[in-house]
Amino acid sequence: MIGRLSLHARLLIVAALTGLAALAFAFFAIGHVLEGFVLRALDDKLDTQAAVLARAVEPDGRLDPTRVVELPDFETPGWGWRVRSAAGEWSGGSGVAGHQTPPMQGRGLRGGKGRGRDGRALYVRRLDIETATGPAEIVTAAPRRIIDSPLRAAMMPMLVSLGLLALGLAVATLIQLRYGLRPVRTLRDAVARVRKGDAQVLPVDQPIELRPLAEEVNALIAQNEAGLQHARRHVANLAHGLKTPLATLSLKLARDGSSAEARALVGELDQRIAHHLRRARAGAVASGQRARTNVREVVADLVDAVSRVHAGRQIEFEVSVDSDLVLAVDRQDLDEMLGNLFDNAARHARRCVRITAAVEEAMVRLVVDDDGAGMGEKDVVLAMTPGARLDESGVGYGFGLGIVRELAELYGGALWLLRSKLGGLSAQILLPR
Amino acid sequence: MRILLVEDDPALAEELVRALRAESFAVDHAANGEDGAHLGDTELYDAAVLDLGLPKMDGISVLHGWRGAGRSLPVLILTARDGWSEKVAGFKAGADDYVTKPFRVDEVVMRLRALVRRAAGHASAKIDCGRLVYDAQIGNFELDGLPLRLTAFEWRVLSVLVLRKESVVERPELLERVYEYDADVDSNSLEVIVGRLRRKIGAEMIETIRGRGYRLTCGVP
Repeated sequence: MIGRLSLHARLLIVAALTGLAALAFAFFAIGHVLEGFVLRALDDKLDTQAAVLARAVEPDGRLDPTRVVELPDFETPGWGWRVRSAAGEWSGGSGVAGHQTPPMQGRGLRGGKGRGRDGRALYVRRLDIETATGPAEIVTAAPRRIIDSPLRAAMMPMLVSLGLLALGLAVATLIQLRYGLRPVRTLRDAVARVRKGDAQVLPVDQPIELRPLAEEVNALIAQNEAGLQHARRHVANLAHGLKTPLATLSLKLARDGSSAEARALVGELDQRIAHHLRRARAGAVASGQRARTNVREVVADLVDAVSRVHAGRQIEFEVSVDSDLVLAVDRQDLDEMLGNLFDNAARHARRCVRITAAVEEAMVRLVVDDDGAGMGEKDVVLAMTPGARLDESGVGYGFGLGIVRELAELYGGALWLLRSKLGGLSAQILLPR
Repeated sequence: MRILLVEDDPALAEELVRALRAESFAVDHAANGEDGAHLGDTELYDAAVLDLGLPKMDGISVLHGWRGAGRSLPVLILTARDGWSEKVAGFKAGADDYVTKPFRVDEVVMRLRALVRRAAGHASAKIDCGRLVYDAQIGNFELDGLPLRLTAFEWRVLSVLVLRKESVVERPELLERVYEYDADVDSNSLEVIVGRLRRKIGAEMIETIRGRGYRLTCGVP
């Protein structure tokens, strides 16, 4: 559980515990000092009375009442004294019913709790003296409230001040946490921006404690990117390495007048290579960081490329895409998806291909309409199968819609083939922003 | 018509050269990017077939070099990568078309013919010149609606002339577009070929412009 506790909570708990401990210590320490002040004046009176009583005790342990002088306070209700020895017990004032004061150890008086005859709480002082008949115990007492009420009166404002102090400390702690942990939050946001594709690396102008972390993360990003590039290069080299001999084989077979079966095998080999290359690329994409690709730029480049591919046919491209529309899709993958859709539309269009984009919450719907003959339902199903070619007589192109769907789904999107208002096919692809 | 083929794989290059020559093209082959760039810079070609993955200098750099130097010859890219990103990069570098490996020879040939035709300013695949019709898509000539049988050299000469019909094609240029780089050219051989062509399509259709070259004339009855 501690392992999952946030830094904020940890610091807050430590601050709260130390703060409370300090406040409790202050409360008891101040209370003790205050009590000392109050008791000192009271002790003086009680001890004086005890000393007077001690002088009135005869050597045989009896109290001589004529020698007892009571201080004025002892006429007040609650104040009282008691002398007890082997010779008897004497008391004055309001008297003392009992007390829990331990016997004197050596010289001096001791304070303690006691109880009056009316059951009220008393503060008592006890003095033990030696007589010929044994020890005599002299106890003087004052009502407990004499101490308690000034203490209570002093403690209340103290408690309030301590409470205010606690509140102040809490606010200070929160401010400190906010200010102190702000670089951590900033760093977290920076990591999120990198992941979202808004930034390439983390800023290194961090507090000294966080700078090594930012540098390490940047190194990791660079390593990841290099790995991705390496994987892509490797895939490209693999494509080149496999497809060049395949092209040779295909030409040789054609020249030798080989069977259609043999030539079909070359086609199948080509499709399998293409399929696995796509899979490898898709794997590289899944492990990479989120990309940000401007749709309009990609569309413009692809319209140019597709126009050249279909240069013999005067196809007009109508593009309606916002210039600042950005997709969370890798540029190469967007090229692949839109390239296939545009190519397909241009191949089947009579004169016009219309490309539009609309934002739908977290997604963007790109629609590619053509004014061609459109597709039947059976053809749509076939077209969605990866690697399938609708137009087997076509020169060398895979139909590509299966690839588009595969890629779109990899990004959590989708592809639909509908009937276009222009008369032909309306290929609609949904991709994340 | 003379084609520059830049392809590093010997087996594929051999097959392509053989196939293109079988279609009557004059073909020069460069086995790496540097040689290809040099040939494209210094020789006259109707089109180039350029592989992208080349040793010494990759295909895109070769293309950049040519376009940077103002060379406008049509370029057909051969690529193992069938991704649109590669195609876009190729087109941005100045390519005119591409073919993905593996391909069929007729596909390459058809695209080459179309590139050369468009580069010469012909929008339609059929080019008429009086009784003569050139089908630029399949590369055949017809005379009075009947197929014309031509040798490779005759086809090269006539295809150059028909693409530039009614214009003078200078003799040195015609020589360059008909003979391969390392061909042993006899000074009279072009006249011999033109003479044979005149017998096949009518002497009056190919005019000799003294001191300059030849012109295919279409207005002959």
